[in-house]
Amino acid sequence: MNNSNTMAEFHTSAHLWGRVTLGLGILISYALPLYLSYAMGYHPGFDLIFQSFLAYAAVIAFVWVLEPLMYFAILGVSGTYIAFFTGNISNMCLPSAAASQEALKVEPGTERGEVVGTLGISAASLVNKLILVPIILLGLWLLTVIPPSIQEVFPYVLPAIFGAVLAQFSLKRPVYGLLALIVGALVNISPIPLVFKNLVVILIVVFLGFQLEKRKKSE
Amino acid sequence: MNNTMQIANSWPVWVFASLIIGVVVFQGIKFLQLARKAGAGIGLSNQEMNKAIKTGAITAIGPSFGIVIVAISLISLLGNPLTMMRIGVIGSAPIESLGASLASESAGADLTGVTFTPEVFTLIVWTLCIGGSGWMLFTLFFNKSLGSVQEKISATPNGKKYLSVIALIAMIAIFGSLTSAEMIKGLVPALTAVAAILSSLLMNLIAEKKKIIWLKEWALGLSIIIALTVTYFII
Repeated sequence: MNNSNTMAEFHTSAHLWGRVTLGLGILISYALPLYLSYAMGYHPGFDLIFQSFLAYAAVIAFVWVLEPLMYFAILGVSGTYIAFFTGNISNMCLPSAAASQEALKVEPGTERGEVVGTLGISAASLVNKLILVPIILLGLWLLTVIPPSIQEVFPYVLPAIFGAVLAQFSLKRPVYGLLALIVGALVNISPIPLVFKNLVVILIVVFLGFQLEKRKKSE
Repeated sequence: MNNTMQIANSWPVWVFASLIIGVVVFQGIKFLQLARKAGAGIGLSNQEMNKAIKTGAITAIGPSFGIVIVAISLISLLGNPLTMMRIGVIGSAPIESLGASLASESAGADLTGVTFTPEVFTLIVWTLCIGGSGWMLFTLFFNKSLGSVQEKISATPNGKKYLSVIALIAMIAIFGSLTSAEMIKGLVPALTAVAAILSSLLMNLIAEKKKIIWLKEWALGLSIIIALTVTYFII
């Protein structure tokens, strides 16, 4: 069997199992509030639900569409199903896919890249739940055990993760890393609405990078 | 308030939360199997695939602790099982706390006071659960179309090469944007990011030059720890 057949078969099963698992996830998500409303009798009324949902959607609804589109080229079909169920796309799924691809020297967006990335993200999703569940069970007790001086570092986890991943990718093309940081800083201090900022940076940097790549090839 | 937290921590909520975590775990295992099979078909060795899994797993340790530690702050608000349910699937501490406060505002309630009734808790559950399903619904219905568009592009001459270049540049662009957004928040996050960039560059270069395989697998995790250690000493 050749590569494209293998990949076609992989995508067919990914669509099937991706849809089955996401479908179940959605059903369970709706079952809990229904249970609380009707089986336990704490229904807040649909007026309030609608009002509160609108307030939420006004801020977040863009992101529902934007994020899957934005990350698709990197995650591929299978990675998208996992990432948009298990969550933590930019701070966990992408770094794990990236590290796996880097360890095997395969490029994102290729067949090998997609399979290797899926292995990395699946493993990451499982490790995440292995860490999450016991800590939630131990809950607030943990906060009393971790010294406050160490807890003060936690708000800085994000710049540490993002910086490290940026550097890892820029190894291959350092110029783009620098370009992305500069464009990123300019866009982020500009008054563009928050939800569009990452998208604008991607569009600008991909456009510029693509022109550079073309020029390199024609030389 | 006490009554509300009893309901938030009651066994039915635990059951629904455990069910959804169960589905996420099942999905992880299923996709590992699918990807292994596909990997064998396109000529990846078992050894290579194990390395990919190991690297993904190691890399997730640091971020997972970061995520969970932030999530603990939600427990006092939402109770243990709902926190597990919301953090265990798509959603994050900032978005869930935003949803919870928007929901309580709509009800004119205060999350820490006597107005935090079981009905307000149920309203929060509705808001967070419908809200979080937005991503899942979009993916469920449109991922297939995105896949077909991708296939059409890769079928054209040069299509595959372009897709791979775009994916790489997009990755650099996203993390450039995320990093700079953190850096402009102040001196401490800026220094943290610089420390992370430098240690990640250094470790990856050393691993490549000296061909140290384990260092490649741990590079990202170690850089995050080194950057946070630097932060610890500057704050």
